[in-house]
Amino acid sequence: MIGSKGSLNADHCEKEKVVFKKITLEKLGDLVSALKEKGPLYAPVRDGKAVNFQKITKTADVTLDFYNTVFSPKFVFFPQTEDLIRYTLQKEGAQAEPVPIAASPSVILGVRPCDAKSFEIMDRHFLGAGIIDPYWKNRRDNTVVIGYAFDPAAPPDPADFYNTVGIHAADTEGSDVFMVRKDGELLLKGITKKGESLLKGLAVLDAASAQDEAFFDETIRKDRGVKTRFTEITDTAIAAKLVGSFEKQEIWEEMTASCIGCGTCTFVCPTCYCFDINDETLFRKGARKRFWDACMFTDFTLEASGHNPRPRIFQRYRQKVCHKYSYHVTKYGCISCVGCGRCTRSCPVNIDIFSIVEKVANL
Amino acid sequence: MQNPYIPMPVEVVNIVTEVDTNDIKTFRFAFVNKEDEERFQYLPGQFAELSILGKGESPIGIASSPTQKGYIEFTVQRVANLSGGIVTAALHDLEVGARMGVRGPLGNSWPIEYLEGKNVVVVGGGFAFTTLRSLIHYMLKEENRSRFGDINVIYGARTPGLLCYKEELAAWEKRKDIRMHVTVDKRDETWTGREGFVPTVCREIAPSAENSVAVICGPPVMIRFTLPVFFELGFSKENIYTSLEMRMKCGIGKCGRCNVGEKYVCKDGPVFSLAELDTLTREY
Ligand SMILES: Cc1cc2nc3c(=O)[nH]c(=O)nc-3n(C[C@H](O)[C@H](O)[C@H](O)COP(=O)(O)OP(=O)(O)OC[C@H]3O[C@@H](n4cnc5c(N)ncnc54)[C@H](O)[C@@H]3O)c2cc1C
Ligand code: SF4
Ligand code: SF4
Ligand code: FES
Repeated sequence: MIGSKGSLNADHCEKEKVVFKKITLEKLGDLVSALKEKGPLYAPVRDGKAVNFQKITKTADVTLDFYNTVFSPKFVFFPQTEDLIRYTLQKEGAQAEPVPIAASPSVILGVRPCDAKSFEIMDRHFLGAGIIDPYWKNRRDNTVVIGYAFDPAAPPDPADFYNTVGIHAADTEGSDVFMVRKDGELLLKGITKKGESLLKGLAVLDAASAQDEAFFDETIRKDRGVKTRFTEITDTAIAAKLVGSFEKQEIWEEMTASCIGCGTCTFVCPTCYCFDINDETLFRKGARKRFWDACMFTDFTLEASGHNPRPRIFQRYRQKVCHKYSYHVTKYGCISCVGCGRCTRSCPVNIDIFSIVEKVANL
Repeated sequence: MQNPYIPMPVEVVNIVTEVDTNDIKTFRFAFVNKEDEERFQYLPGQFAELSILGKGESPIGIASSPTQKGYIEFTVQRVANLSGGIVTAALHDLEVGARMGVRGPLGNSWPIEYLEGKNVVVVGGGFAFTTLRSLIHYMLKEENRSRFGDINVIYGARTPGLLCYKEELAAWEKRKDIRMHVTVDKRDETWTGREGFVPTVCREIAPSAENSVAVICGPPVMIRFTLPVFFELGFSKENIYTSLEMRMKCGIGKCGRCNVGEKYVCKDGPVFSLAELDTLTREY
């Protein structure tokens, strides 16, 4: 084992060798092509009014002019549906084959800091406790995350509240490479070893100057000034507050009265991980699939006997908030919400998780 | 890395219809691959996902004991409801020789180590007796018996025809190292044994709380009326254990379905002491 002195020195050397690159925005297409050559590339694509991450087939589709995507990029590691086993049913039983877990190295380009952080939160669930989820692990291990700072000059979306959960507009945590925009250029800095080796292998990039580096650091500093909605909470205090408010049914009913239980909030959320497993068969051929499910649906906990522990919407919404802000804290040591504001933006009846958490915090 | 979502192949080697209503059967499976059998190391109280491709999976308690080598058993009720009962119905349609899948063992077990050196009161109602049967077989095994104190078993069903494992019950009745108290809610002409509800029988037998642990599994109503009896007898919440049921899918604490508060019943349970349950939300 290397002693503490040894590792300090190693860190020091690392610092001197920071991998720092740049490219002009006009040449974004070249960067996209180069990344695509390395394996599947996921990047933001405009589709009508919405921008979402997609697997890139046409270089020109990629846009970096967006605030944040409607859906989170979690589907790269955890697709909305995927086949676990494919089978053919026969008289004497099923002919079955597990579907190999696709593990080609891939890149996600343009991930906002709150979303990059969400991957680490999900890691604690899928990789950090008990049985390791092989699907999540394989894809996480093989994917490089290129984070993308929010523009320090632009006001944050009113729904966002990532400051409340300790995230800033240019946090590099969770990213392998971090990207900052400078007038007509993109500056890219290696954050992890994985990110550095990706950058080193991209001949389309130019070396960045000391001035660029100063600009990069300045952006990170300025982004501390981007202020989203904020309420003072700590993980353990809000967890305890929620436990204390659990039995206060009237409050929960009132706060969630307009919710229709559509589940949209959970589908757009980067940290919701609930899934279902079901078999789908057509003409004797089929697949055991896993797909996103949501605690907001009536039948999520419905048992074969007809018993349902959470038949009412307020109970299901309370479960959602308690899961993210209490159970997750107790179980995994952190809140499982990154304040990205997606649920609030997408809710058809304007339910806002921030207001609910704020209210409970002040009970 | 072993993929925890892929079932191991098993073959149905025996099927016993347990009850006169024909809707509860015990399935005995043998592993198709020897390595799988070796990997499937379990303790009484654990469960497994039974998989029939094209139908799905169901979590079912393991009814056999690890002391019974070469096979595993599950006792399954065919669920009759409008929308569902898909997997349990498909299971009931199987014949000996059929192949299907098993994923497990899953969850925690009855607190075997904690039970050592103590008297054990086993209370079961209806077909929820399955993992208790596993526990009884385990404790009665020659090399294990001395690790436990007195064993009292209170087991009830609505009618004599609804009692499971009848031959085993009869065999246990004959033994000196276990006291059986089998009861039915309603007697019929075939029945010469006890009549009375499980909670009432518990009160009559009044097992001492001294150095004793109660392990209780049954329908919610039975549990609701049985617990007060044990409290009256002086059993503390730390010394009463039960097994929870929640709808499940993954069985390994990943799909988020079966939580009670911060616990996933499939992974942190299904066995909990009442003291542990007291710290959780009442959503089950
Ligand atoms: C830990 C545990 C142990 C169990 N042990 C036994 C046993 O020994 N014998 C027995 O007969 N039954 C047992 N059950 C209940 C059994 O799992 C359900 O009756 C069964 O899953 C119903 O499946 P189905 O496909 O026939 O019904 P459907 O209504 O078609 O259910 C669809 C799916 O939902 C899930 N599901 C539905 N109800 C339940 C439920 N109550 N619990 C868990 N998942 C559910 C299953 O994945 C099921 O396949 C146990 C449940 C749990 C949680
Ligand atoms: S909070 Fe809004 S988005 Fe979420 S389930 Fe309720 S209505 Fe749907
Ligand atoms: S709960 Fe809402 S704000 Fe929090 S991470 Fe999910 S979508 Fe974003
Ligand atoms: S069944 Fe999936 S978490 Fe328990």
